[in-house]
Amino acid sequence: MSSTPPVPTSGKPRSADRSPYLAPKPLTSTTKEDGQPPVDPSDLANAMKNLNTLQSVKTPAGSAAPSAATSPDVSGSNSPNPPGQLQLEGLDKLIQQNPLAMPAGEGKLEGKTISVPGTPHFGAQSELLKTLDDATKVLRQSSKAPTRAPSVSGIGAVVEKPDYSEAKIVVAMVGLPARGKSYLSNRLMRYLRWLEYKVDVFNVGQLRRSKARAEQQLGGEKVDHSADYFSASNEKGQAIREQLASESLESLISWLKKEGNVGIMDATNSTFDRREKIRKRVAQEPGLQLLFLESFCNDPKVIAANVVLKARSGDPDYAGMSEEEAQRDFRKRIEAYERVYQTITEPGISFCRILNVGQQVTINRIDGYLQSRIAFYLMNLHLKPRHIYLSRHGESMYNVSGKIGGDSDISPQGWQYAKALPDLVRQNIGDGPLEVWTSTLQRTIQTGSFLPFEHKTWKSLDELDAGVCDGMTYEEIEEKYPEDYEARDEDKFNYRYRGGESYRDVVVRLEPVIMELERQENILIIAHQAILRSLYAYFMALSQEELPYIKIPLHTLIKITPMAYGCHEERYPLPIAAVDTHRPNPKKMAEQHAEQNAAHPDVAKIEVARDYFGASAAPPPGGAPPPPEPGVSASGVTKALEKDVENGGMTPKAAHQEVKD
Amino acid sequence: MAAPLYVTQSGRLWHAGLILIVTVGLPARGKTHISRALERYLRWLGVKTRVYSLGDYRRKVLGGAENIPADYFKLNKTERTDETNTLRRKIKLDLEEEIWDYFQVQGGQVVIYDANNGNMKSRKETRDRFEERGVHVIFLESQCDKEDIITANIRSVKLSSPDYQGWDADRAVADYWSRIRDQQVFYEEVTAEEGPFIKVMNVGERIEVNRIEGYLQSRCCFFLMNIHTSPRTIYFARSGQSLIEHSYKADSDLSSAGWEYADRLKAAVMARRKAVRAERRRKSEVGGESEENPLIVWTSARRRAYHTAWPFVHSGYKVVQKPIMSEINPGVWDGLSTQEAKERYPDEWERFLADPYAHRAPRAESYHDLSVRVEPIIFELERCQEDLLIIGHASVIRCLLAYLVGLPPNEVPAVEIARGDLVEVTPASYGVVSRAFHFWSGEGRGDLAGGNLYENFAEATTGKGRIPAESGVNFAADAMDMEREARDEQDMDKERKKRMSAGMGLGLEKMKSLEGGRGTASAPPEVVREEAEEAREDLFDEQEGEATGQKRDGRAMSIIQI
Repeated sequence: MSSTPPVPTSGKPRSADRSPYLAPKPLTSTTKEDGQPPVDPSDLANAMKNLNTLQSVKTPAGSAAPSAATSPDVSGSNSPNPPGQLQLEGLDKLIQQNPLAMPAGEGKLEGKTISVPGTPHFGAQSELLKTLDDATKVLRQSSKAPTRAPSVSGIGAVVEKPDYSEAKIVVAMVGLPARGKSYLSNRLMRYLRWLEYKVDVFNVGQLRRSKARAEQQLGGEKVDHSADYFSASNEKGQAIREQLASESLESLISWLKKEGNVGIMDATNSTFDRREKIRKRVAQEPGLQLLFLESFCNDPKVIAANVVLKARSGDPDYAGMSEEEAQRDFRKRIEAYERVYQTITEPGISFCRILNVGQQVTINRIDGYLQSRIAFYLMNLHLKPRHIYLSRHGESMYNVSGKIGGDSDISPQGWQYAKALPDLVRQNIGDGPLEVWTSTLQRTIQTGSFLPFEHKTWKSLDELDAGVCDGMTYEEIEEKYPEDYEARDEDKFNYRYRGGESYRDVVVRLEPVIMELERQENILIIAHQAILRSLYAYFMALSQEELPYIKIPLHTLIKITPMAYGCHEERYPLPIAAVDTHRPNPKKMAEQHAEQNAAHPDVAKIEVARDYFGASAAPPPGGAPPPPEPGVSASGVTKALEKDVENGGMTPKAAHQEVKD
Repeated sequence: MAAPLYVTQSGRLWHAGLILIVTVGLPARGKTHISRALERYLRWLGVKTRVYSLGDYRRKVLGGAENIPADYFKLNKTERTDETNTLRRKIKLDLEEEIWDYFQVQGGQVVIYDANNGNMKSRKETRDRFEERGVHVIFLESQCDKEDIITANIRSVKLSSPDYQGWDADRAVADYWSRIRDQQVFYEEVTAEEGPFIKVMNVGERIEVNRIEGYLQSRCCFFLMNIHTSPRTIYFARSGQSLIEHSYKADSDLSSAGWEYADRLKAAVMARRKAVRAERRRKSEVGGESEENPLIVWTSARRRAYHTAWPFVHSGYKVVQKPIMSEINPGVWDGLSTQEAKERYPDEWERFLADPYAHRAPRAESYHDLSVRVEPIIFELERCQEDLLIIGHASVIRCLLAYLVGLPPNEVPAVEIARGDLVEVTPASYGVVSRAFHFWSGEGRGDLAGGNLYENFAEATTGKGRIPAESGVNFAADAMDMEREARDEQDMDKERKKRMSAGMGLGLEKMKSLEGGRGTASAPPEVVREEAEEAREDLFDEQEGEATGQKRDGRAMSIIQI
């Protein structure tokens, strides 16, 4: 390794001291910025000198006289056990114990460094970054530009959410009862919300039921919502349903105009007439796009399963009926719709027709990027039962020393976890097929190295890039940049490390991974805390505020089973000691219960039970916010579904369909 | 037969297996356009892909018209002699053998088989033959029910055929139409029983998809959903020089030279837009200004890029920051010069030189990683109907340009993008036309010291970053004039924006995309001529497959000094 840093003799003087002017040149106007204190010439000269020095800084380490500022090991040097040494010892031991532990280990040990010191020389450990920022600030102050691009100093900044205000789409579902319309609308909502679009489902059935109940509570009679009500020959019912549909559409449109991006109208919309009315109404609103989404299903098994589920799910429409009666009535309702059902054949409208969820997809006049995203997403869905397993890498050397980022090896305990993992997985999936996905970082590859399945390495699964803070401990960051440290806690999802990423950036880069995950069957993902938080939030429909605080402990296998209304989760912690890398949200420390919810979303919390009155969302206009419905036992349904899953009898496609009008 | 051939070169591809995409469609339905676009996309993703055209192959084997039996192009099998039928069959089978050879010996992963394939029985034969060898076969049918699109297609690529030399254009179009109608009689659409298919109506207006499974396959669908053929221009420019050029992590501000560059860039873009509009008007392509595309600017979220777009932000243009457009991550090589990287990481350096596209330095991104990362940008780029200026980093521009121009992956790291050149890309019939305009020669144009090796690898190794000797006569010299023009241009853009928002808002946009014609391949006439020249083909070919002609070199990009 070279011992002397190259001297900046390349002859080309740097900009700061020879440039004709120091300020961004005003383009059109020469107005001066008011209240600008003049810059002391000596400060300016000093700043330029500093900049010149910085521009010639080349070597992170190994320079003739390594100062504390440029050495990569500043943070580790205080530690009694320098991480490098610890790694070697741990590995040596491990390889002695188990020659199979690391097939490539020996070559690596001989060859080069196992774990490259991840300290960039402009990292926040050194003083260089501060010197640079100070110099930049002085230069900017001396600028005569009328306006300046915003600039940040320090180790990062909170980044605004991208502007989605132009995306305004009405998605109108089309399909017979029990065809999976609600399933599709919920999936779509979960996906788009994860991508930070404002999405809501406007369910006409919910509106009808909550209105009926409000009436009943006011002393009216119980409204008959049996199949007769849905018959095309029932003129009164027809008119009421017509009225409800347009009411629901109106509230959807006004919500879209106010704040929403995608409003999903969950109703049968089964006739040309009805769809034409929707089209005309939406066409009156400039800036709103309309996309019909038809769910078509001709697999009798799927429909039958949906009918059973509907009858069993505690729908208040069937309160007081036996399960058989309910099924019979529901079938009659479907028939009533079938008689008048018209599949989409209208020319010139945007639609997406999905046959048996993903078997065949027809896409017509998809206009705009978001619409094509929606179509592509729906194309990739399938209903085959499967599990997704999430696991963090085994404890790494950086975990032990409390540092973030890096590409360190796993610790001896980490290796224990890696070795225990195959048995744990086998107990769960038996001989079923499984694919293992890891990131490109050593700690995940090592953790997965004993798993006898096909492996894929994804660059997109690499840990959130902590930029200039890579290789530091949280304590160091807090000490050196206290304001930044607090800023990150203020808004962790939006905080982007300088030269690195924010959680949002991670979500954006994980989007293709999600798309591929939707297409796959059994997958085990071995990745990192921030990555798994983001993936977990997608499956569990958690908000951006909750996402950065989800608890994903080390040495724990999380099993996720996609089901009708969400995902079922089980955790298998292994009794192998590991450090706790979870940093709770300081704001929420007080509100302990909120934290608990985010950290342990237990099964009861998952919305397996159907929300028949839209109680979880904002109350529909015209309908009073309904009190908890005594007739529906959410936990009962949950238990039934759980049991079905355990027995393997429940496939996601069998789940939950219902009629709306 | 042979075991499934996984061609996952150096582990960088998905395990997608072998895929044969068979195009189906009548002549002038844009099959070749779609095939080429798809090929470009897949190649860019790093998938070894090739278009095989039956017409090209026949021409290669049989030679010119004098060697072809007179009844070779008779539509009905019974009208042809037995020898001719045998010959036709032999040519088809030979081509299919060649395709198999590409899969098996040359390590190809996807083949697009460009021919009419209008006969169901012969389609089934092809499918069976490949499926029993473990190749996944998909039909890609291109339909078009809009006469104006077909006519535009005929005008843009078919009329240059020797058949129509000296013909009156309208008569030639009518004649071609009658030929298409003759073939229509024998044409059989792809049905659901035939297996997986993608049907594309009017180049992306409607897509029908049947039983499409697999990663690459569904990627292809998504891609086909997003392409359009409305005319527009895409500009690329690098970000200005920053204070600490050689560090990725520092994410430093622009230097004063960088700010100067930002102003010059804006002026240059304005001047080019004006020139392009004048050119189009001269060729009476656009009627009024209202048909002119608005300009949108995309930058990465890095300071040096966003700040370079600041003059645009300042004057009210829409500037979008896209975090996934950050430059290639140099990992542990951040801040190292070429020399230092060589000394500190000799093994890595060797491997990097051996394969600069695929090699990933520790914790860094390879160019392949970068390509995968910016893929969503490709889709947005394809989808975007406005004129676009992308202010980015050399590595990202390299990837995007390589995609647009259709370079093989291993050439991506060597694409030269000097700071101070504005690259203008105009989509044309079977590809794009790209030109570069030099507008700035100030400090930081190149990186001759090799201080930022990952980012400036190409320029540092080829010497491209050097300032052109005659830099006196260029864009930059006309700064005064340019700034005035820029102001005019900007006022016009503002005016237009006002009118748009005052009038009908999004309604107008929508109307435009409906009428302005998906698929009315109205590339600039000059370009059409060039392309047609290259795509010279004889009409009869249409019966078998559209020829694409012996390829132009779309890669050549000349630096034009203004």
